[in-house]
Amino acid sequence: MIRASLSLAAVAALALAASTPARAQDSQFGIRGLGTPGRWESVRARATGGAFAPFDPFSPLLEASIADVRRVTAGVTGGTSWRTVDFGNQTSSLRAARFPAFVIAGPVSSHLVLAGGFSTYLDKSFGVTTRDTIDVRGTPEPVSDEVSADGAVTDLRLALAARIHKNLALGFALHGMTGSTRVTAIRRFDDSTTYRTSTARDEVAYHGLGGSASALFDLNADLRLAAWARSDTHLRADIRGRTVADDDLPFSFGGGVRWRPGTEAVVAGAVAWRYWAGAGPNAHDTFNWSVGTELGSLASPFRFGVRGGQLAFGPGPKAPTEFGISAGLGRQFSGGRGRLDFGLERLERKGGTGVTERVWTFLLGLTVRP
Amino acid sequence: MTRRPTRLALLLALGACTEQATAPGVCPDYCPGGQITVVDTIFTDMIERDSAYSGYAEAHRGVGLAVSDVPGMVDSRAVMLLNGGVPPRLTNRPSPDTTTVPITVDSARLRINIVRRDTASKNLWIKFYRLPLGLDSTTTFAQLVPAFTDSIVDSVNVSALLASAKIFDTVTLRIWGDTIRTDSAGHVLLVGRSDSTLLLYTRLDTTQARFVATDSGRVAFGVRVSADTLASVALGSNEGGRSATLTWFYTFPDTNAVPVPASAQRGPSFDTFVFTPPTPPVDSTLSVGGAPAARSLLRFAIPPILRDSADVVRATLILVPVGPVPGAAGDSFTVAAEPVVTDLGPKSPLSTNSAFFGTKTIHLNTADTIRMELTDLIRGWALDTTAATAVMLLQTAEGSTYHQIRFYSTRTPAFRPTLHITYVRRYAFGAP
Repeated sequence: MIRASLSLAAVAALALAASTPARAQDSQFGIRGLGTPGRWESVRARATGGAFAPFDPFSPLLEASIADVRRVTAGVTGGTSWRTVDFGNQTSSLRAARFPAFVIAGPVSSHLVLAGGFSTYLDKSFGVTTRDTIDVRGTPEPVSDEVSADGAVTDLRLALAARIHKNLALGFALHGMTGSTRVTAIRRFDDSTTYRTSTARDEVAYHGLGGSASALFDLNADLRLAAWARSDTHLRADIRGRTVADDDLPFSFGGGVRWRPGTEAVVAGAVAWRYWAGAGPNAHDTFNWSVGTELGSLASPFRFGVRGGQLAFGPGPKAPTEFGISAGLGRQFSGGRGRLDFGLERLERKGGTGVTERVWTFLLGLTVRP
Repeated sequence: MTRRPTRLALLLALGACTEQATAPGVCPDYCPGGQITVVDTIFTDMIERDSAYSGYAEAHRGVGLAVSDVPGMVDSRAVMLLNGGVPPRLTNRPSPDTTTVPITVDSARLRINIVRRDTASKNLWIKFYRLPLGLDSTTTFAQLVPAFTDSIVDSVNVSALLASAKIFDTVTLRIWGDTIRTDSAGHVLLVGRSDSTLLLYTRLDTTQARFVATDSGRVAFGVRVSADTLASVALGSNEGGRSATLTWFYTFPDTNAVPVPASAQRGPSFDTFVFTPPTPPVDSTLSVGGAPAARSLLRFAIPPILRDSADVVRATLILVPVGPVPGAAGDSFTVAAEPVVTDLGPKSPLSTNSAFFGTKTIHLNTADTIRMELTDLIRGWALDTTAATAVMLLQTAEGSTYHQIRFYSTRTPAFRPTLHITYVRRYAFGAP
């Protein structure tokens, strides 16, 4: 049994290691904006539609939840998604691997718990190819363009939480947004004998700061409330030391409720508002909701959830919408020192210009308590 | 129970290794905000200085000998001094008997290699003249006019030979592809399959090819052409490895006084071509070609925009000829632009990297503006700030033709050399 568990953990570690950090744009809607905001959710929370994120210490959404971590514990999330984008007259299939969250937490005193880690703040990887015919020297010349970016903005978090009362836990965190993208723009002429291919490459570095605070309040043994607020300042984009863009980052807040109707059933719901509209011409304020449940024993629960809401970036005056369902399993091993979580998520996003995006995501999470 | 999730995780690990992040864009809504912009500009002042120099390859250094006769334009004739070294007496007995016997020359065969001709030429005649032996690089057209007037030794109608029936051996034709044509005068024309050259053999008797014992058989010949149209050919030269040869046929008596046949083949010790009118001296224009060959040096100032903010996709050098290059209609030559390794004026060493060379074929009797593609060179200069930004304009196969073209220089602002550049602006990365 122990051997099987070790094997399972090793394969999971391999799977997570093979996933490269934030390599692909989660949505085509983010190309014309700052990117695609990441989900600050562990696999456990993601499998419940995100509803458990405010109450899950290994979801980097809310700091107060780490107050109940009594031993050093680390959790990591990875996933692979298959995406189909339907523009009405053409369809594209895309595939991406991601490594969107890592959290390590442990007590520093009897009341204080310290946590650190990173998560994807904005996914900025994409690749776009276009065909056109341009007029050069009075002659029409067919060309192919390819613009691509590979990278992300990562949210580095340092969080402190404390249970200041048996019913109340508070948490605070500082966030440093950092990351880079390798960007390439290539123009190829069909007449490659006369015209050479033009290639421009650069690396864009991103920097930003933020802070957040949160609270968990237990109304009774079965009902817990969560509230959080976060303010991020600006995202500065630099190319070779020169600032090329400085965009506002949103103020966000949200909350959730978790109810334990029985020993092997937990139901949760969460909402979040994010004020992205100041981040550019294609940015929108968003509201997102989620409802989910976890059924079964703590050692091997089954999870299910739905989510809905809006996307932060997309063309037109109205924000694109998103709806998703998800499900997952969890398994403890090594006497509860480790846990593997599996999740499967189906998302459908719709934009005002008739674009529909459908995503299947397979998620794998590993939590280890040495 | 553990086996299934293990397999699932393994599947994920494999799936995670591949990625497809590029899709056709639906612009502008689902494309990045930046655009790839092409700009097309003629840089009129990018060539900041230029100079013309003469005295490079002279006519006797060329790989070909230009022979043409275009009345009112040019008259060019090939001349060649064929080696002697044919002893007037030789031994015919075993050593140590040093008794010598005289040789008796009975004929000679001259072979010339026609390396270029106009296939549209009508009634093309090649004429051979006996010339005085004092030929060297200072010999002028005028000095040889008398010999070219009264010393004709033979003439061959090449057009008629080409039109005559092929004579060939089935075996040699299958292997080598060569065919020959002959005429009643004994001229032989060998047409190769592997290239477009013609080998012309003409048999000369002792009055046509005079063996002078005191000269050891040294002789000099001149070649002219005439035709109803397009009288212009090029003969192979000593420097080009396709020179004329002369074979002497003679006999000498053996110990029983029976004549023994023998032969000796000799190549030229010197060959060149003389022409009128001569190549004029260089002036304020940009001269290229002629004999002696002229070259022109163009110095470029690469604007900062091409180094910092643009990617050159096409660069074309524009040169305006002062006038048409006179010569036979249908004739042409090639001008090349080769970058210099370092700018030392007329003695600038030229780069050997042919990827950066530009070439343009110049057709005679037209004054069309010349456009020469220099894209790779300008792209290289934009990236390498240490490179000498100058090119030498020169004629390919220098010294092989009298053709010289002259372009307007920077001293004539209205027609100065310019560079037509198409470039892509630096993409605006970073902005949404």
